[in-house]
Amino acid sequence: MAFDRKYVTYAVGGIAIAAIPLAFFGPEGLRLVVIGLLMLAGPGTALVLLLRFGPPDSPEARSSLPLAVAIAVASSLALSTIIATAMVFSRIWSPPAAVCLLSLATLGLLALGAKRSRESLAGAR
Amino acid sequence: MTPEPTPSAPTAPLSPAPHRHADTTHGETKHGAKHGDGRHDGKHGDTKHAETKHGGAKHGGTVPPAVVRHESSRPWQLAALAGLAAAALALGIWSLLSVDPARIGGTGLVEALPPVYYVALALSLAGFVGTLNLRRYTPALLAGQVMVLVVILHAADPIVHGLPRLEASYRHLGIADYIAKSGQLNTNIDAYFSWPGFFDFLGMLSGATGVRDLMGIATWAPLGINLLLLAPLLALATRLTSQPRQAWAGVWIFFLTSWVGQDYLSPQAYAFLLLVTLLACLLSVFSGWAWPTGSKPFTRSLAHTVAKLDPTVPHQGMASPPPADAAVLLVVCAGFLVAMTASHQLTPFAVIPILALFVLTGRLRLRYLPILAAVLPIGWLVFAASAYFEGHLTHLFGSFGDIQANTLGAVTQRVSGSEAHVLVVYTRLAEVAFVWVLAAVGAFMAHRRRTAWLTAAVGALAPLALIPGQPYGGELLLRLYLFSLPFAACLAVLILIPDKQGAPGWKRTIALMALGSVLATATVVTRYGNDSMEQFTPEEISLVNKLYATAPAGSVLIEAVHDTPWKFQKYAEYDYRELLETQARPDTAPLTCDAANRIAQRAGAYLIITTSQKRAAELLETTQPGGLDHFIATCGASPGWTKVFDDAGGVVFHIKGAGNGI
Repeated sequence: MAFDRKYVTYAVGGIAIAAIPLAFFGPEGLRLVVIGLLMLAGPGTALVLLLRFGPPDSPEARSSLPLAVAIAVASSLALSTIIATAMVFSRIWSPPAAVCLLSLATLGLLALGAKRSRESLAGAR
Repeated sequence: MTPEPTPSAPTAPLSPAPHRHADTTHGETKHGAKHGDGRHDGKHGDTKHAETKHGGAKHGGTVPPAVVRHESSRPWQLAALAGLAAAALALGIWSLLSVDPARIGGTGLVEALPPVYYVALALSLAGFVGTLNLRRYTPALLAGQVMVLVVILHAADPIVHGLPRLEASYRHLGIADYIAKSGQLNTNIDAYFSWPGFFDFLGMLSGATGVRDLMGIATWAPLGINLLLLAPLLALATRLTSQPRQAWAGVWIFFLTSWVGQDYLSPQAYAFLLLVTLLACLLSVFSGWAWPTGSKPFTRSLAHTVAKLDPTVPHQGMASPPPADAAVLLVVCAGFLVAMTASHQLTPFAVIPILALFVLTGRLRLRYLPILAAVLPIGWLVFAASAYFEGHLTHLFGSFGDIQANTLGAVTQRVSGSEAHVLVVYTRLAEVAFVWVLAAVGAFMAHRRRTAWLTAAVGALAPLALIPGQPYGGELLLRLYLFSLPFAACLAVLILIPDKQGAPGWKRTIALMALGSVLATATVVTRYGNDSMEQFTPEEISLVNKLYATAPAGSVLIEAVHDTPWKFQKYAEYDYRELLETQARPDTAPLTCDAANRIAQRAGAYLIITTSQKRAAELLETTQPGGLDHFIATCGASPGWTKVFDDAGGVVFHIKGAGNGI
């Protein structure tokens, strides 16, 4: 499980970092894949990695994978929508800036998640 | 707020605990005689598989999760079932690629599907029920089987046609394109700009990636949306049922009966995804009574009634995060409501009765959430969508309380058109009725055997509270069916899948296969019944592009029948008109040259008549048979009418105006 979390963290972090320059330039196909993935699941996955659905290794935590995936996707979509709508209503439309914001939110949540994991491990020892 | 009932805090006088599967003594798990096959002797750790068991806990008492041991399935069984899924997928895609779209007729895609498609469908169904019947619970293989079914049953349009389905898909692309380019809303054009959330999202994607043409995403949206729905549906079904195999079967039944076709690139598909996730999250994290149930007579009586109806609360899928994490999840749920409210008119209103009834039945302990769910869409309607609200008061509230018009009236209006189309509509009605009968029988059986059913029944019935509101353009019942389907599907499976852990057995598996076959065959007809008019050809897209290249900005563009794959660009640059709605109404004026001339009289106009318009007119009998061909022949020869394009996609005329401006 920890192994999975580590690699998911790396993947999401990689996408979030790559999305920042790609929001401004790069081949269209690559930009669509990376930014599309970020908007679809980036901040939500980072959030789900931060949260605990139950005590570690409890049945609740183990059986919550579908819920975690659902929340990861839906919260990423919702956050992207809220940011985009806020930009439209406040008349400061800048999609690249919004993607940077999403990336920073994702990276921030990943950092918090890593810190929390380290603290949990230290506490367990 | 009161958390999920615990043994130390009983909530109501209750009946004896049904399905109390396990007790924990000194840290060891013991099982009753009922589950003798699952006894844990600790000797076969390598060959037995652990399956977490919850459910059946007495309401008001939490049974600690127990562990049941089942013998592993044989590797050849797993390999055979995986092979079945792979074969079904390959045959399904191959058969769909070999479909000749020209053979699609009045009853839709079913007329053009080769027999191999049904073989693929049968293999897919067999793969799922076979996997469900394995001794070992194998969620990864079940997920694979459901995904194969989704591809075969819900990705037929993109595979066969390679273009987005429904003219609305093209419109939605145009709105996203407008927002991506301008970053602004134009509420004078239509209601979409008053609920722009989803289009803002698409506009942001387009603007940030530089990809102006999202046609590919729109084409594959039905497959993508259904795959994205898998996890939230499973999370929700897990909370509605007593054991994981019931949950998987519920998800499977959902995909087998989801024929309404709202899974295109649309705000309603997006909002439905958020809705299912929201409900799954709330039931998983915030389950329980919102108030102490023993203090006041009303709350005590309510809890007693609920416990009498359904004494069980399934514990599987329940999450127990730390308080800070639960608070974060509450904010996330509020975010879902906000995004949903900004994106779609109807879905947020469907949330209100569902949440209210969950609170009243002790399934949701956040008593203020239904209030927030009501305040958000009403506030949005009054403030953010004020332009629409002020101009459409009659439309919004004109049929309030008219249940007859909003239900039977809307259905009757849809039972019209060609004989083939009426057959499709009746099949849809029959499928809806069948699903509801199955759900009712499932609820009744679950009540009799004292297993969980009430949450699903409440979720299935609650959206019906919207019926007195308004007909929603005649589509209300269609949408309500979709909202209730995740719950109804979970009730339906209670007929065949037992509450105890383990394989359902061959008899039940065969019955499930038979049920799946009936539902899948019906859904091929019901889902793709309008395919002849909902699908477009590359020639039609090419004709629309030629029209855009020819007509100067600001021109009036007219479609003879409302079924044209246009507006995917230049959404606000033209004045789009229609002569006839797709669905004929009793007061619809006949199609005449004068109708087009009147629109064009001031500054001229371009009139487009596509092959899909002709098919729609014939399918729904919007005009007399051959009416559009007659219209082209007679009006095309009128003075002032000039044929600009005439190809396989259709025909475009330029109609001269009096001002002769264009």
